[in-house]
Amino acid sequence: MKKTNAALLSTPYIVWMVVFTLVPLGVVCFYALTDAAGNFTWANLLELRAYLPVLWQSILYSLAAAFICLLLGYPVAYYISHRSPTAQKFLYMLIMLPMCMSFLLRTLAWVGLLQDTGIINDLLASLGLARLKLIRTPGAVILGMVYNYLPYMILPLYSTICKIDHRLIEAAEDLGCTPVQVFSKVILPLSVPGILSGVTMVFVPAVSTFYISQKLGNPRDTVLIGDIIERLFKQADNPNLGAALSLVLMALVFVCTGIMNRFGGDTQEGDVIV
Amino acid sequence: MKHANRIITALILIFLYIPMAVLIVASFNTGTDITEFEGFTLQQYVRLFQDDKLLGLLGNSLLISILASGIATVFGTLAAVGINSLNPKLRKLVMSLTDIPMTNPDIVTGISLSLLFVFVGTTMLGQKESLTFWTLLIAHITFNLPYVILNVMPKLKQMDASLTDAAMDLGCTPVQAFFKVTLHEIMPGVISGAIMAFTMSLDDFVISYFVTGNSFITLPVEIYSYVKKPVAPKVYALFTLLFLLIFVLMAAMNLMQLRADQKRKETRVRVETEGMKVFKRLVAVTAAAALVIGCGWLILHPAEEKVTLNVYNWGQYISEGQDDTIDVIAEFENAYPWIDVRYSTYSDNETMYTKLSGGGITVDVIIPSDYMVARLIAEGMLLELDFSNIPNYAYVDEAFRNTAYDPENKYSVPYTWGTVGIIYNTKYVDEADVTGWELLWNKKYDDKILMFGNSRDAFGIAQYLLGYDVNTTDPAELRACANKLKEQRPMVQQYIMDEIFAAMENEEAWIATYYAGDCLTMMENNPDLAFYFPQEQGFNMFIDAMCIPTCCQEKEAAELFINFLCDPWISGQNMNALGYSTPISAAKDYMDPEMVESELAYPSEEILVNATSYAYLPEEITQLVEALFQEATKLID
Amino acid sequence: MAKELIRLQDLVMEFDGERILDGINLYFNDHEFLTLLGPSGCGKTTTLRIIGGFLTPTSGKVLFDGKEVNDVPPYQRQVNTVFQRYALFPHLDVYDNIAFGLNVAKVDKQEIHDRVHEMLGIVGLKGYENRRVESLSGGQQQRVAIARALVNRPKVLLLDEPLAALDLRLRKDMQNELKRIQQAMGITFIYVTHDQEEALSMSDTVVVMDKGRIQQIGRPEDIYNEPKNAFVADFIGESNILDGTMLADYKVRFFGRNFECLDKGFAPNEPVDVVIRPEDIDIVPPEQGHLVGTVTSVTFKGLNYDIICEFRGFKWLIQTTDFHPVGATIGILLNPEDIHIMKKSEYSGMFGDYSSYSAEYDELTEDAGNEED
Repeated sequence: MKKTNAALLSTPYIVWMVVFTLVPLGVVCFYALTDAAGNFTWANLLELRAYLPVLWQSILYSLAAAFICLLLGYPVAYYISHRSPTAQKFLYMLIMLPMCMSFLLRTLAWVGLLQDTGIINDLLASLGLARLKLIRTPGAVILGMVYNYLPYMILPLYSTICKIDHRLIEAAEDLGCTPVQVFSKVILPLSVPGILSGVTMVFVPAVSTFYISQKLGNPRDTVLIGDIIERLFKQADNPNLGAALSLVLMALVFVCTGIMNRFGGDTQEGDVIV
Repeated sequence: MKHANRIITALILIFLYIPMAVLIVASFNTGTDITEFEGFTLQQYVRLFQDDKLLGLLGNSLLISILASGIATVFGTLAAVGINSLNPKLRKLVMSLTDIPMTNPDIVTGISLSLLFVFVGTTMLGQKESLTFWTLLIAHITFNLPYVILNVMPKLKQMDASLTDAAMDLGCTPVQAFFKVTLHEIMPGVISGAIMAFTMSLDDFVISYFVTGNSFITLPVEIYSYVKKPVAPKVYALFTLLFLLIFVLMAAMNLMQLRADQKRKETRVRVETEGMKVFKRLVAVTAAAALVIGCGWLILHPAEEKVTLNVYNWGQYISEGQDDTIDVIAEFENAYPWIDVRYSTYSDNETMYTKLSGGGITVDVIIPSDYMVARLIAEGMLLELDFSNIPNYAYVDEAFRNTAYDPENKYSVPYTWGTVGIIYNTKYVDEADVTGWELLWNKKYDDKILMFGNSRDAFGIAQYLLGYDVNTTDPAELRACANKLKEQRPMVQQYIMDEIFAAMENEEAWIATYYAGDCLTMMENNPDLAFYFPQEQGFNMFIDAMCIPTCCQEKEAAELFINFLCDPWISGQNMNALGYSTPISAAKDYMDPEMVESELAYPSEEILVNATSYAYLPEEITQLVEALFQEATKLID
Repeated sequence: MAKELIRLQDLVMEFDGERILDGINLYFNDHEFLTLLGPSGCGKTTTLRIIGGFLTPTSGKVLFDGKEVNDVPPYQRQVNTVFQRYALFPHLDVYDNIAFGLNVAKVDKQEIHDRVHEMLGIVGLKGYENRRVESLSGGQQQRVAIARALVNRPKVLLLDEPLAALDLRLRKDMQNELKRIQQAMGITFIYVTHDQEEALSMSDTVVVMDKGRIQQIGRPEDIYNEPKNAFVADFIGESNILDGTMLADYKVRFFGRNFECLDKGFAPNEPVDVVIRPEDIDIVPPEQGHLVGTVTSVTFKGLNYDIICEFRGFKWLIQTTDFHPVGATIGILLNPEDIHIMKKSEYSGMFGDYSSYSAEYDELTEDAGNEED
């Protein structure tokens, strides 16, 4: 009786979410399957074939970024989770803080750092060294992704490692594991949920980004699917094709998260964030 | 290994904070270039606080994020309680619904919401303006809700379910039990959910970018249009202040929590530390005040007697009062105090067209180029002007009347005219190579060439180079142009528009093609830059004209604005600052003589002999050009 | 004796098609200490929650003073509950926890103060008013929970395994304490537990439940001495349960021998369950015994030894103060008053065989019992 009453509280929310998440996705499908005049067509979906290389390229870049984030983020998360509670809080805050600031301006700062006449190259030149080709390379785009999304990797890893019961480590040591074995046989397998959710949380925004590649990339080999969607909506006046591409992007992301969830068990994203 | 982790952590923190440091240093820079520190100044902070527009945008951002996170927190907390008492199957379903905005890429969320709003508002309800403050608020609430729910749900699950039973057992109604017990238990989740929602909302760019019309713009969206131009250093100052504010807030929160934890450990007696109490009260008071102010603003704002005039113009295309120039918009608002100008910019004709045809926005004045004016007229997207409100039209030179794009002078009043040429850096570019448009195809300058980021201008250049008519409708010729552009792609640093200023001035790029008026500005800032008209091959000469689109809501004010810009003194001052050419000869009396003499701004008949204008092309050709341009400049083969 | 306060009529409760309560009929008297006893999942907590108003039965009636209260919400019922893990409000101190119900009822401040202090006295927590509840020991939290419920002067106090989280020593003390409080306050206690010893030592009436049904209602002594079926016999204390045949009144046959007993009223040659309590069995030299068997294991239990003795492939548990080594051959003597006869039931053959007996058995079942929903 009381339960059903309380459950009613969720009704407005469900209605809201259906109207503002499911219905819009329906509208995207509608646009993807119609032409500018609103008539049904398969043309947009057929045209997608031309964008497969870009899609593939976006996936590669984001996977690379996610992998690098994992390599860099794991030691950091591990280090933080083994500090005193005070230090943990402080370090956690330091990792979180950049995420609260405008990512546009921070990316712009990278442009200033990396460009041919930028801060790093000026520094090299003043030391009498040769200038390096940093900006407008695939490396710069991946760096931009790593920079922007690294916190998304560290935070879930950190909370997963924190949750590992210290007695398990002691048990492993007791059973004769060296520190390296403790790590590879106990800690690493237990942090798999964190790794998977971190990889997802980096991969999803990276694969759909449209600003980083514009600023740090070049028009030759770093064009990403997000750039094309943005252009189709904002400049090329082709929301129908844009909607079709968005559907592809969405499908890609849901397949990825589906795979991650399957292997990562039932990790709630909420646990990971908090 | 432990040592290695420590070093990596330190390096990562440095990595994370380097760009922040660059921005903070830039806020104290006397110069505008982020890469060069010219001297220390606090001037940027002064400028920031004098800039009502920037502060207004910050206010908008705060308003939307406070309202959205506040509403989402209340709504989401109640929903979480509801979801928690659903049966497990239904709960799982609702939680997957909650996951959709979390897992969906922001760009898809933004696009889907904007399509929904425009579809419902414009197509179904026939509203003129369907992307408003309210739709933006809905979008923010929608993506904030999952953060609140995902923070509150674990707390609800952790909570001993018999606590609410106990409260009811002791005489509480379910509502009383919620406020007296449940809320206390889930408070940490509610607070962290609210904070997360607030910061996400405040910093959101992608979703807002797609859902924003032009009547209510948040700071990140505006910054996106800033970063396409040289960024004003006061933006860095704003960033620095926000950074400090958030840093202090977060540090204070952490410290207080630590102190509370310690005290709790020290004494076994119950302590709600004074600090926590004060903090809680502070948060409550601020939130309440913000809500009241927000609602007050919402109620009062539209009640203002002022008329809002939405002007949608090219970026960098009006004098904004920097370096002793006049602030045209401020002058206009002084002259007509009952009109409030809301100014937004686009980077090219196509972007402007897309935004207008997409619907959902209100625009009163636009300034498209000739061929675009013709297209808008042909598609019935412009209103006829009432010239009795534009007496200054009399000043417009004969040469700029009865033009091909508006033969009967019904829809447009010329704003500027100008030409397109090549700007290059004499330090790096061999004068011998500067022979014509082929300079932009010269392999020697690989990765140092900037090209137009819009289809019509880019195709125009290929057409001049290949000797085709710029208004050709022959698909074969257009394909040839596309191939030419594709050939150029490996050498192009970027396809951009207003970003050209910064790239040329700081010598990141050496060769570009752009509008002569803007090149004058760049040359003023970097004396090594030079300009070249490919006279033989021909180049584009354009007229940008002021028009009123059909979505206009304040036609009379719009006409007053057009009239104001035709005032010879205003036009003179404006063109002085812009470097573009005025179609009003009388304005030259008020201009810098040097400017009037300039070959760039006012090229002689002899130079202009091969200059041509773009004409309006049939819809299918326009689309073909757009598609070919996509293909030529992007990876799609 | 006392008047009837609450009556449950044909209570049926189903969750997702699963039947948790299957026709419960029960009444509670004023001033009574009644215990619902059963293993986890037997429906005892569900019954309690229905009385408390937290659940509405699928069918059947709950009557308070003869009035149906099925749809009366918990906050309007004159009962209060002591929850399994106390459910003290962590954000309030001891005083505010106890005063919670009075505050909600908007009782006069001075009266709240007086009543809370009176309760603190009764539960022995004077001076703890301003403590955080988290800083209290389990026993102290328990007392706060009781005080918080009793301060509202309910007619009935519901206690849901209130002692389950306490250690053995404390549990014993609290049992006495609870009984004392119940007598001092003079109200009805409805007590839920899976611990038979607790039930027997505190209650006026014990209701044994299993599988959503009441197996037996009675005074503790009756329940122990006259279990109605194999389930009750096994659940209340240890029992050796054997198949037997009732030859005639006072005559039963098992293990191929005839025994005298005190039971009657069965059909001639009716198959029955024979219960023999392990502490009732007398060990005698083999030549004097009714039965002769071999000791297969001995466990020292403090007060006594638990001996498992094998008779023709059937293992019995015998509790004795005398030591008999493993392998010893012993005789046992069964007096008529040691033999209790029960009718066959669905539980026949499920209990009372100690073939897989181990010393850990007791503790295991206790742990399982704690997981009552």
